[in-house]
Amino acid sequence: MVTGTSVLGVKFDGGIIIAADTLGSYGSLARFRDCPRVMKVNECSVLGAGGDYADYQHLKAMIEQKVLDEDNLNDGFNYTPKSLFNWLTRIMYHKRSNFNPLWNTLVIGGLQDGEPYLGYIDKLGVAYTNDTVATGFGSYLAAPMLRDGLEKNPKMTEADAKQLIDRALRVLFYRDARSWNRYQLAIVTKDGVRIEGPLSSKTDWSVAHVAKGIQ
Amino acid sequence: MIPTFGQNATATPKQAHFNPYSFNGGSIMAIAGDDFAVVASDTRLSEGFSIHSRNAPKTYKLTDKTVLASAGFHGDVLTEIKVLEARLKMYEHEHGKKMSSQAIAAMLATILYHKRFFPYYVYNIIGGLDEEGKGCVYSYDPVGSYEREVYRAGGSAGPLLQPLLDNQIGFKNQQGVEKVSLSKDKAIKLIKDIFISAAERDIYTGDSLHLKVVTKEGVSEETFPLRRD
Amino acid sequence: MFLTRSEYDRGVNTFSPEGRLFQVEYAIEAIKLGSTAIGIQTSEGIILAVEKRVTSSLIEPSSIEKIMEVDSHIGCAMSGLIADSRTLIDKARVEAQNHWFTYDEKISVQSIALAVSNLALAFGDDDADPGAMSRPFGVALLFAGIDERGPQLIHMDPSGTFTQCDAKAIGSGSEGAQQALQDTYHKSMDLKQACVESLKILKEVMEEKLNSTNVEMAKITPAKGFQMFSKDELEEIIKEL
Repeated sequence: MVTGTSVLGVKFDGGIIIAADTLGSYGSLARFRDCPRVMKVNECSVLGAGGDYADYQHLKAMIEQKVLDEDNLNDGFNYTPKSLFNWLTRIMYHKRSNFNPLWNTLVIGGLQDGEPYLGYIDKLGVAYTNDTVATGFGSYLAAPMLRDGLEKNPKMTEADAKQLIDRALRVLFYRDARSWNRYQLAIVTKDGVRIEGPLSSKTDWSVAHVAKGIQ
Repeated sequence: MIPTFGQNATATPKQAHFNPYSFNGGSIMAIAGDDFAVVASDTRLSEGFSIHSRNAPKTYKLTDKTVLASAGFHGDVLTEIKVLEARLKMYEHEHGKKMSSQAIAAMLATILYHKRFFPYYVYNIIGGLDEEGKGCVYSYDPVGSYEREVYRAGGSAGPLLQPLLDNQIGFKNQQGVEKVSLSKDKAIKLIKDIFISAAERDIYTGDSLHLKVVTKEGVSEETFPLRRD
Repeated sequence: MFLTRSEYDRGVNTFSPEGRLFQVEYAIEAIKLGSTAIGIQTSEGIILAVEKRVTSSLIEPSSIEKIMEVDSHIGCAMSGLIADSRTLIDKARVEAQNHWFTYDEKISVQSIALAVSNLALAFGDDDADPGAMSRPFGVALLFAGIDERGPQLIHMDPSGTFTQCDAKAIGSGSEGAQQALQDTYHKSMDLKQACVESLKILKEVMEEKLNSTNVEMAKITPAKGFQMFSKDELEEIIKEL
């Protein structure tokens, strides 16, 4: 089973960022180095996924088909992040209820009626929206950083948010053995959706030699 | 090669069992007065030693006269609320009236019992006004056993808080006290104190207290900070 | 009407070019062959009274039942093909118990009428709900009950149309009976007066001489719900007519 690790998400003034590295792990083996885990859904919503990569690819195909069908109706309506979030919550809960879950943790984001929207769904159908979201290992290491960052700077700009995400991902790269210093960002603002990257954090190993003798 | 003798002779391939439930914590409470009901919950959503959200109230306004508090497995909570809201609308269309608190209480019991063998892992407490305008509280177990009461604490710190309510509202284990009926202000003050205490001892309770007060004027809301560690 | 018979009076789900469903209209006609049934709503409760046609002295009169209990607070009087009413009454009773089971409250008379009218309308549908037939039901019903809106009297015909009434007569004597109700009914009528009036009217429209074996009467009151009148109670009232 190929898996992806943490997904991070944060709201900023006028938009949201979702970030995930591009490593596809095969157990403890860093098997694939170019597995994109964030996707554009439409002009106002994006999604990031951790967990089983095959399940994510299946979900991605499902979403893309659904968005295409909706586009083809050409009725001027589109899925909003909120409608996408609620639909995915039902999918995830339904699959878990049939004891056949999609083994993923999802982060959904975008602009809902002009306001930033950010939500979390796991394989059990547990779902919530929040100003910051972090999954997997990131819930231990990155979540406190993101909360702290946003609390100290509630009117965060996009650049501030990018910097905050970069710092959190760098810590994850240092400490999460299933992470990788190559990541993508999905950014939603009123100007639309951008997928940025792959990017890398600037790392500093100058203290590494001090760690000699540590298990 | 499959061993033909010894300890593993009958070994078959095993898959890690999938657990369809998680426990997301949260404490809930409802108190009925003569002409009001207060329904309260904390706003913390947790899993294990992590906090998912500090702002997830577990009280849900069903009608102008009925509020439900639900805690336990959040996936089931979300589903149960969706089912309830749909059933509430269907009843309104079919029978041309709003559901009373008693009717909602009875219906919730059947909804829960219909999933007796794959239960909604949810602790529910309903607070509201009955058809005479009196405060009412209904409490449930996850498979739909329910009864009408005057006060009830539930969720992760429920067992911790119930004896305090028994003492302070039910006047249990007290001698020679005058059994006066509870005022709305005293109920709210008591709930705040109780949740402060719960947040001290229960790691699944904290962040904020959310109150919904039901009177004949409708449902009003109030929030109150709790410790966030 | 019978002169306009055409291919449109066969299919139960085919409109005629004039926009009519003949089989439904014929079913409504069938009611007019049935024995007379009367319902009167008062502020104290409701009276249902029906004529029983005991066509032979060898018939056991008590085996003819045209007023039935739906739930402890709702009764139903009928006219037309009484056999057809069985499935409708079954539906009403099940609906009443389901409502009580799910909501722990008494179902409203209107909700009963709605549930039964849905069944009455499901004719001709091959895979409709259980109970639905290939043709319209040949019976009209008077639902009488007490709910949160007070005493309620609802009339339903084979088309599934239901209407709330203060007083209503159905069956062969309905034309005369309805006219008589029109003349005698007033909002301040009490239950006792309604008993007497309904039997008086039945007496007038019945071919046979009215007595305690060839009529049935029931009352539905807020205090005691559905109650059939006994033979003795009927005789008591008949004496006063």
